Amino acid sequence: MEGIKTGFKNFDELTNGLDYRRVYSLFGNKESGKEQFIYKLVQSALSAKDAIVYVLTSKSYSDLINEFNSRGININSYLGTDFKILDDFSRTNSPSATDNSYAKILNGPLDLTGLSVSLSSANSDFIKDAKPVINIFDNLSNLLLYNNPVTVYRFLQFVVGKAKLAGITTIFSIDVAMHPPEVIETIKNLSDAIIDLKLEDGKRYFKLSGTSKEVLQFTEIE
Amino acid sequence: MAEYKGLDGVTDKDFDPYFGIAKLDEQLKGIPSKKMVLISASPSVGNEVFGYQIIHKNITSDVKVLVFLNRTSPQSYLTDMKEYDFPANDNLFIIDAYSGITGIKSDETDHIRVINNPYDKEEVKTRVLKELENGYGLFVIDSFSLLADFFDFSFADSFMNDIKQKIINKDSAAVLLFTDWGYEKQNVDKIISNVNSTIEIKGIEKRVIFGQYFAVLKCDWIEENPTFSSVLFKAIKPGGIKVYFPKILVTGPTDAGKSSFIHSASKNAVSVDKLGGTIALDHGTVDFQGYRADLFGTPGQERFDPLLKMLGGEAIGVFLVVDSTKPEQFPRAVEMLRKTETYGLPVVVIANKADLNGSLKKEDIREKLHLDSAITLVQTVAEDLSKVDPNEPIKLKEEGVNEALSALFKQLT
Repeated sequence: MEGIKTGFKNFDELTNGLDYRRVYSLFGNKESGKEQFIYKLVQSALSAKDAIVYVLTSKSYSDLINEFNSRGININSYLGTDFKILDDFSRTNSPSATDNSYAKILNGPLDLTGLSVSLSSANSDFIKDAKPVINIFDNLSNLLLYNNPVTVYRFLQFVVGKAKLAGITTIFSIDVAMHPPEVIETIKNLSDAIIDLKLEDGKRYFKLSGTSKEVLQFTEIE
Repeated sequence: MAEYKGLDGVTDKDFDPYFGIAKLDEQLKGIPSKKMVLISASPSVGNEVFGYQIIHKNITSDVKVLVFLNRTSPQSYLTDMKEYDFPANDNLFIIDAYSGITGIKSDETDHIRVINNPYDKEEVKTRVLKELENGYGLFVIDSFSLLADFFDFSFADSFMNDIKQKIINKDSAAVLLFTDWGYEKQNVDKIISNVNSTIEIKGIEKRVIFGQYFAVLKCDWIEENPTFSSVLFKAIKPGGIKVYFPKILVTGPTDAGKSSFIHSASKNAVSVDKLGGTIALDHGTVDFQGYRADLFGTPGQERFDPLLKMLGGEAIGVFLVVDSTKPEQFPRAVEMLRKTETYGLPVVVIANKADLNGSLKKEDIREKLHLDSAITLVQTVAEDLSKVDPNEPIKLKEEGVNEALSALFKQLT
């Protein structure tokens, strides 16, 4: 099976894209381009007929959709059918927000049970449609901010275990600078492969380790 | 006083408060005062709807309920409850141990008490124990596993003992909602040994979840050592927890009224038919007294007999529908049980058209069908013809339909 193309020219040529069924951690600082990486990956995966469950912890689902649209990515035609959002943010500001056909409104970062139940059910729906599924966590930093790190590891262990069993690809996005090194190490241990991103001299670079085609030196992403 | 109406429509007044969940109340007869129940769920299934339903059942039965809430804000909680059709009322009180964490303070009201610093063990403990002094019929913690995550198991354990003392003194009862994230076994065992009853909620899952069930693992107030079976359920929005029967077959001879029964028992039935006779299948979903069942009807005409075995596969119970005025079809009815390979499953016989001229009496039908005395026979009649929509199958009167559902569901649980 071909890998998941990210839409970044150099990345895809050098690495063959991301392998299905694996767990990736996407590390980088605030300006490293993690969101841009994810948005482009979403566009490319959706047009390759993959299905995506997008766990959103730092903005509302409507803001996310605006972000896609402002980048010229036509997300609207995939909403609900191939792209579902688990919004773990909106209720922080509007506690009475409720679900629609493509966005499930969760109870905030402390309710990991609610998140895991919704994730299981969204994944089941897509798998029953015989679609390859990608779970994207944008991002883990917020979950780690509110919860005990051990609680988050237990949660991630559960999520990763389920994803392996169900053949789901998982991507965790983490803001490296926000967490102590031991937290980052543990997340690495849960992952099959690590993508590092950085911004330098106005250009974006990546590294990839843990896959069959690694790129171990920072290389321009496109 | 809460009350639970079982499938008989009879009220059991053994204990108070009640779960408000079918089967659970039948098995455990509610939650006696001074008792603590742990509802332990797998992370992919969750237990929040059990919480909502238990709370709602009691606040609508005039039981004062206090909820210790640390997993979301009171407003979000009430919104979720409402979405399941469990609106709050004046009997519901919440201790908000969440808002202080997010920094968005909620205002203290008559019904919402706020813990200013939910990170402070002492404040949490003192506020809860003090509030319980006010005398609540039921105390719910949502969620107890989050509390253990937040502090540690030794705090959770000692807090639990304090609560236990308090509810014993105040004649209250408690329900702890717990998600088992794969904690160390000794920690979980200790909690389980400290409660009076444990109910486990799990998913049947491989790549996808294809079923959910609950089971009573222990209960110290039911004597005579009962065996509690696992119960399949669905969490329906709105509606809540329903005990679920995935497949019940409705079979019987041509024109006996199988489609009528399915359409009368369910709200969303579909038929594939031609000139009024079902030629492929009927399907309908029934919601009745906290139970949900999927009914599958077979065609009655003999030319479809090759399909019958397939249609009957995996059914767990049967409604056999016969026309009370046509005893000549009775051998065919029994033959259909055989052909669907459902002979021997729990069955309820529906003697339809019982009000028409020439309809046989109950005893005569029993005799002609060679029914064992243990098999329930229910008579049904059509609604007034003046109310009939010519484009829909004729509806049967509710009384007989409910009697039949109740009789079969009782055998299935």
